Amino acid sequence: MSAWGFVFLAYGIVWFALLIYLFAVKRRFRKVQKELAQLSPAGDRLNQG
Amino acid sequence: MAKTGKKRNRRRVLGILALLFVLVGLYFALIEAPPDAYQGDVQRIMYVHIPSILTAYLSFFIVFIGSCLFLWKREKRDDILARSAAEIGVLFTSLTIIEGSIWGKPTWGVWWTWDARLTLTAILLLIFVGYLMLRSLIEDENRGAVCSAVVGVIGFLDIPLIHMSVYWWRTLHQPPSILRPDKMPWENVHPSMLIALAVNFAAFILLYFYLLSLRFRVGEMEEEVKTLKLYGGAS
Repeated sequence: MSAWGFVFLAYGIVWFALLIYLFAVKRRFRKVQKELAQLSPAGDRLNQG
Repeated sequence: MAKTGKKRNRRRVLGILALLFVLVGLYFALIEAPPDAYQGDVQRIMYVHIPSILTAYLSFFIVFIGSCLFLWKREKRDDILARSAAEIGVLFTSLTIIEGSIWGKPTWGVWWTWDARLTLTAILLLIFVGYLMLRSLIEDENRGAVCSAVVGVIGFLDIPLIHMSVYWWRTLHQPPSILRPDKMPWENVHPSMLIALAVNFAAFILLYFYLLSLRFRVGEMEEEVKTLKLYGGAS
């Protein structure tokens, strides 16, 4: 592999892993936000309404 | 509500700033910075390798502070902060080891060697993977948090060992380029490379704080959900 091959491999892995982690946390954020809205009194009122 | 909105806006600004710095950092690292006189272009891995490990150190320092505060005051927020920082610290340490391995192959001729610094970094990773696993292994949540906090404090002590390992033992890994006791960074690294490194370091730090604030909020909300479920919020 050429020098640039090693460089792109390293950068590719770093930014791919960071993006995957970011999307995973954002997904978890949305999921727990939704759950919280359903459980909180305001969410209950919305559900009842 | 207004406070949450303000925090969300602050997080959004941090995210945009991080993205901007990442793009500028990539430009400096891959285009603007000159190739190294000895290693050539492969040395460009340094612009992600050093920021990754320094971000991991910062993350484990936050774990250390959060763990100490939790052991002292027993406030859930400190535990959530330590847990969030540990998770991101594990990610950055793993990336450091992977980048180092990719850099090691063309320069040392091997993907991995049991060098003191490499081994101590692998131990650091294992300690904090253990820190995260401990919570799922101990049924009592509070006990799990206390045990994790103790591991978090002890685990942090590995960092000075990692830093000093290149001085204390004969290692294949080079001595530090930036955090040297005998030289200032600009005396050791060419300014054109130092700028690229500084921009990438700023990008990693901004991205780190963005991820930490997001992960911390997730932890807070998960606690709220747990409390609401426990006290019949859903009924």
